[in-house]
Amino acid sequence: MKLLTKTNIYSSVATIILFIIGIFVVFNFIFMKFDSEQDEQLLSAKKIIIESLKKGKTPEQFSSNIGEIISIKKINAQTSALNYFKEYEIQKGEDYTKIRELNFQCLINETAYSISVSISLSQDKKIGEYIFAIVALYLFISLFILFLLNRYISSHIFSPFYDTLSKIKKWNIKKNEPLIFKKTHIDEFNLINTTVQELTQQIKTDYKNLKEFTENVSHESQTPLSIISSKVELLMQGTNYNEKQQEYLQQIFQSTQRIYKLNQVLILMSRIENKQFLASEPIHLQHAIQQKINELEDFISAKQITISTEFKTQNKKYINPILFDILLNNLMINAIKYNLDQDGKIIIRLDEHTLTIENTSNIGKIEKKFLFERFTKSSTSSSLGVGLSLIKKIIEAFNWQITYSHKYNIHTFKIYL
Amino acid sequence: MKILIIEDEKSLLEDIKHYLTENGYNCDYSTTVKSALNKLAEYKYTVALIDLDLPDGSGLEIISYIKNNFPEMGIIITTAANSLEDKLNGLKMGADDYLTKPFHLSELNARIYSLIRRRNFSGKNALVFDGLEIDTTEKKVISNGVALQFTKKEYDILVFLASNPTHLITKEALAENIWGDKAEMATTFDFVYSQIKNLKRKLNEVGLKDYIKVVYGLGYKFKN
Repeated sequence: MKLLTKTNIYSSVATIILFIIGIFVVFNFIFMKFDSEQDEQLLSAKKIIIESLKKGKTPEQFSSNIGEIISIKKINAQTSALNYFKEYEIQKGEDYTKIRELNFQCLINETAYSISVSISLSQDKKIGEYIFAIVALYLFISLFILFLLNRYISSHIFSPFYDTLSKIKKWNIKKNEPLIFKKTHIDEFNLINTTVQELTQQIKTDYKNLKEFTENVSHESQTPLSIISSKVELLMQGTNYNEKQQEYLQQIFQSTQRIYKLNQVLILMSRIENKQFLASEPIHLQHAIQQKINELEDFISAKQITISTEFKTQNKKYINPILFDILLNNLMINAIKYNLDQDGKIIIRLDEHTLTIENTSNIGKIEKKFLFERFTKSSTSSSLGVGLSLIKKIIEAFNWQITYSHKYNIHTFKIYL
Repeated sequence: MKILIIEDEKSLLEDIKHYLTENGYNCDYSTTVKSALNKLAEYKYTVALIDLDLPDGSGLEIISYIKNNFPEMGIIITTAANSLEDKLNGLKMGADDYLTKPFHLSELNARIYSLIRRRNFSGKNALVFDGLEIDTTEKKVISNGVALQFTKKEYDILVFLASNPTHLITKEALAENIWGDKAEMATTFDFVYSQIKNLKRKLNEVGLKDYIKVVYGLGYKFKN
């Protein structure tokens, strides 16, 4: 959930709650005020009635004032001097009208009266409805303004933040592009930006150092490796070795060869990463694949592998020929090396947009975490698993994509050209 | 035949010199561009082996000097694995062949032999042994007047072994000589083994026993 959506939800909920409380408070307050005013009105009516009676007005002479209904009855004796207020509803057609009534007794010129004064409260109900409508409208307007405000905030105030986010997301350490963020007047965003910039700078420096270190190690070990290799070769020319010594020599030699091969791949990979294979030329994919099959004919026939091909395009791709050759070589060698010992199959399909290489194999599915990772070995092979990561490097360099799937003992590598 | 080895790594230089001397070449050496140019001005060489990465400059200078002054001289360049551009430049400037370090000494020897043969420096295009003649121009193997039939791979292996006589050729060097980059396949050595077996059988059939000796675990030797 977006930060703003989240805060919006909170502020909207808070606004609604506040308004409900507000409406409640306002209603109560207003009606309390109404009640007291009405009571005052009734009491002042009482005063006037008493005054009038004292002046000699007869009860029959009292008519209803505006909004006031007065009824005066003579009684035998005054039993109470208190004011009784009561509220009740009367039905007038379909409408109910609320009535507030004051009952009191008084003794004027030796005559006891029981008097009731009542007023209709129908006006109050209308006023209540008005208030509710106004408050509801106000609530709606407030929410709308809140919504507009948030949109403004997200598009203007938060835009540097989202800009930063998208730039961080796109950032690739290998591309060596500097991170430049939008200028902003908000301290927190500036802090994020400078922190991220410092952080990526640090990562970049570390990455560069590490990369240079690996490259240097690979390069610098070339000469000592050459020396070891040639010395062992010369040592092997000797004839007076016993079996043990010969075995030692063989092991030294083979280990040297392994480091040397590994070194070559590492150097190749760093060269690809450093974009040292830029020269591209149009490559006829079908020809290249067929040529590769011919080159590997010895190994294919040694394992009696059947190769079937399906070419649906004569297209040429504009790519680096050396890298494409290495790519094909690695894909094909894997397909041969890990194939069945007999009656194996390799199927190669090429169309406009994909190149698929399938091979039969006894080896189970390669786990995703091992796939294309440097130096993961398949359990049945002693060779260093740099082949697949080299394939991935080249695929990346070409801006292609590769997928792997495994079904019924068939491994499929599909390249999206 | 005189060979000038230009290599700044003394230890490696020693080994190359040793191996090539054993194979009957007369070796001279330089460790810098400057001394190499001096040597070239003074003496005549058949082949120059040039390391492109030298302390006082690039081996490319030496190539252009040789091409300008001794166009008939054979040039083999050696480079580190990372300097592909140098290698291509070297070949463009007229080098005949290249080797990427580290290389097998037997491979170097075979390359020098093949370069000399191609340029026909010695006037002969055949490897001649007792009862066996390998005509490298016609790609024919003749034993006592009878032409032997070999597959292309068998022939390649035979030439590689024969151009390094009396030396132990590791199976790795042999595999690399024949399949290059593809040599790392697990099946390669079995393949080499079966090719050698066929080769030996065919030689045995015409009475050429013990020409190829198997050194257990290490490799093979071609012995006259």
